[in-house]
Amino acid sequence: MADPYKPRAAFAPWDRRELPGIFSVEDSARRVGNYKWLEMRLFESLGGWVATVPELDVKLVLGRHCYHHAWHAELMDKRLPELREMDTDRLCEAPNPEMEAFVEALREPEAPEHTIEKLVGVFRVLLPRKIAAYTYHLNGTSRITDSPTQRSLGFMLQDEFEDWREGEMLLQSLIETPEEVDRATRRQAELEKLILAAGGISGPGSLGPIVATEGASL
Amino acid sequence: MRKQLPPDMLARDSRFVRTSIMDQVMDPRNQKIGERDLGSARLQPERPAAADRARNLMHGIFTGEIQALEGAGRTTFDFDDDEAPFALKLDMARQCWDESRHVEISVKLGDWMGTEIGEYSEAVFLYEAACAPDPVLRLCGVNRALEGLAIDVFNTMKEFGDSSGDPVLEFCEDWMLADEVTHVKMGSDWLRRMTKDDPERLEKALEFQRTVDKLFSLGGFRGETEDNPIQLARNFRSMAGFSTDEIDEIAELAAQAKRDAEALVAGSS
Repeated sequence: MADPYKPRAAFAPWDRRELPGIFSVEDSARRVGNYKWLEMRLFESLGGWVATVPELDVKLVLGRHCYHHAWHAELMDKRLPELREMDTDRLCEAPNPEMEAFVEALREPEAPEHTIEKLVGVFRVLLPRKIAAYTYHLNGTSRITDSPTQRSLGFMLQDEFEDWREGEMLLQSLIETPEEVDRATRRQAELEKLILAAGGISGPGSLGPIVATEGASL
Repeated sequence: MRKQLPPDMLARDSRFVRTSIMDQVMDPRNQKIGERDLGSARLQPERPAAADRARNLMHGIFTGEIQALEGAGRTTFDFDDDEAPFALKLDMARQCWDESRHVEISVKLGDWMGTEIGEYSEAVFLYEAACAPDPVLRLCGVNRALEGLAIDVFNTMKEFGDSSGDPVLEFCEDWMLADEVTHVKMGSDWLRRMTKDDPERLEKALEFQRTVDKLFSLGGFRGETEDNPIQLARNFRSMAGFSTDEIDEIAELAAQAKRDAEALVAGSS
């Protein structure tokens, strides 16, 4: 029988987590605030669009995804006070005016004939950018000190990947003619230029490198 | 995308046929149907038209769920952060997912029961209740009145599933009923929180709810007598935060709606 009092290492041999991370508490809080703002704007847009799309399957998917992004906003909202940001509205903002302009353009389509434009904005432009920025944050932050943020980002990324796949499949089923291919690519290019100007979903540094702040890494 | 989307802009595919609630209530055939003495109007399997009535009702549930989904979705979008609290919007987003599932369930149940999308017409009065400019009024009109009606309808359909030996119908209606109790409770909770220091706003919201409740009684569609196909589900309403006085008031509004509709039809013939 194994001796339960025999000293063991705190980290099992297969647990390779390290202390250093590239984000300070403030860096992480700022990004989390940006994510909350974006997730809010996204779930509002999807909720608003439900009534404007005639395609029944798209309508139902938007209703489901609306909740996914609301839950992400809630996760980020709960994380902010744990990152010393007691006023959870203060950092809930766009990283810059260019990102606000991108979101304005994203949510602009309304007509029932514009389902392709609505879906392209979300599934071909925004979700890939979110996946990239969340992955960068997940991989770059300390796996020990900022583990709660990592855990939330992990859940969010799981939704983002699955939602992206579902949205992309809807788009492929909706795009039936060369003209519709042009519409989709034109829309994608318009929005890509805007988010490029914003520097990504949390501004320049969304995918690094970022300017290191004091005490950011060990 | 604009704030406040009017009901005539609800997007539908080519299968859907739009009608108005007044056309349905004022249909002159209603009087003839009313004159027939067929006994209880309740949804009972022994009635010859029970299967058709259940299919019709299921299609009504389906279109109602679409509009409930659209209404909850619009509430997440139509109000700025200072008009609707963050937590309220989260609840509405959650309701979007629930209503989306209810549409999926209704489509499959409709298929199971032998009907198809577009076989019956759609009136958009449910969404109209979700167009109020004040979020508190929307919560009263949609979550307490409309979702309250849904409690009555789902409970009636669940009982019909049981009495007609349809476990699939009974099973699905019971699950949807659980969600609806949650939605009504959500509306009751938010009504209390948002009008805590504003009795005038509370009274305005409750008045709006009374109007919608009377409209949803559809000239005798819902009530507590043998003349009402849909029965008021007192126990589930109580679970969802309605007081006994409030349930009594809805019962009286329903009876009044029936008398009004009878008078209207008599006057027009």
